[in-house]
Amino acid sequence: MIRSGEEQTGAVYERRVCKNASDYQYMKVGLEFEAPGFRLNDASFKQMIVSALRGLHGEIGAALPVDVLKFEEQSLTAILRVRGSDLVKLWSALTLSAFYKDKKCAFRVIQVSPFLLALSGNSREFLLI
Amino acid sequence: MACFADLNIVNVGDRKRMQTIIETAAHLGYSTVAINHVVDFQQKGQEITNPVSIAELFPSPPIVQGKSKPIKIVTRLTLIASDVSHYNQLRTAYPQTMPYDIIAVEPKTEKLFHVACMTLDIDLICIQGTAKLPFRITRPPVNGAIARGIYFELTYFPAINDYTLRRYTISNGICLMNVCKGKNIIVSSATEEFLGLRGPYDISNFGMLFGLSEGDAKAAVSTNCRAVLLHGETRKTALGVIYTARKVTATEEKDEGRPRSKKAKTENNQ
Repeated sequence: MIRSGEEQTGAVYERRVCKNASDYQYMKVGLEFEAPGFRLNDASFKQMIVSALRGLHGEIGAALPVDVLKFEEQSLTAILRVRGSDLVKLWSALTLSAFYKDKKCAFRVIQVSPFLLALSGNSREFLLI
Repeated sequence: MACFADLNIVNVGDRKRMQTIIETAAHLGYSTVAINHVVDFQQKGQEITNPVSIAELFPSPPIVQGKSKPIKIVTRLTLIASDVSHYNQLRTAYPQTMPYDIIAVEPKTEKLFHVACMTLDIDLICIQGTAKLPFRITRPPVNGAIARGIYFELTYFPAINDYTLRRYTISNGICLMNVCKGKNIIVSSATEEFLGLRGPYDISNFGMLFGLSEGDAKAAVSTNCRAVLLHGETRKTALGVIYTARKVTATEEKDEGRPRSKKAKTENNQ
């Protein structure tokens, strides 16, 4: 429907190039313990991330804005959100953290992406035949 | 793209534990791992012996994630050198070092570091993170090592466990980085347990803590490791010549279990 008085131009095409359009980076991380079946709630998971950041980067690291968007207690996987400039700090802190209450553990970073949609699938687990 | 490799998994002796570590490495996406035999002549009764037979340790290697190929396992010898005479043992013990794919040296003094960079016939020089570096890394030997195609190895397992060792690891890495500017560095695990392993992308991110650029940090776990393996291959045969013999018969598995040769006669040759 075309209203009267409006210019009739037909379909309009517009090309936009965005460079570094997304401010955030999203990480999908898993937590692995020596013995399976360890329980952890979301608050202590966040606490663990903050203490890992404090351990490597000090108080500035602990103050970085890190959000836990989703945490699954069953599989101990989570989706984190950080600013793109803080990604290296968070990632290295997670790499070097190894203990939770004197229990050995390891963070496995599954995927990192600037788009949340990309975390829905994992190309590395495709079966190559 | 070169495949990811982790060239330092400490040989803990226990077969079950070795299998768990290697399975974890395959799951994380490493295509090549090296089992490391550490020889320290400071301690009594240490000799260069034959490596573990890989076919014996792992009859069917696990499949690498996302590759549908089995993981490749190689052997590596690390010599901890705190005296010049230790190098003589490495030179004279040639038949013993022959079966190893990679030979590495961990020098403890500046003089030994210089000799290892300039003249010794090796593939890797280890910079450990377990202690503060006992000498200053200077430019001439490092440039010589880069020209000869010898690589420097940084290990990250100490950094995972302990805050103090983490400081040493990062400071040693930065010291090395200041001199070699990101060339000829590999990062490997030196792990003794499966929880000490991290994925290859984690490690390339960890390399940025030393000040490596993104490309160099990724090369430190992929391209450079491949160069080390190839360097080891040429050292094992003649320089630049690789001789292979192909057997069509079904006796290929016997080839891996090399016969246990006699004890090393290294003591007489000091």
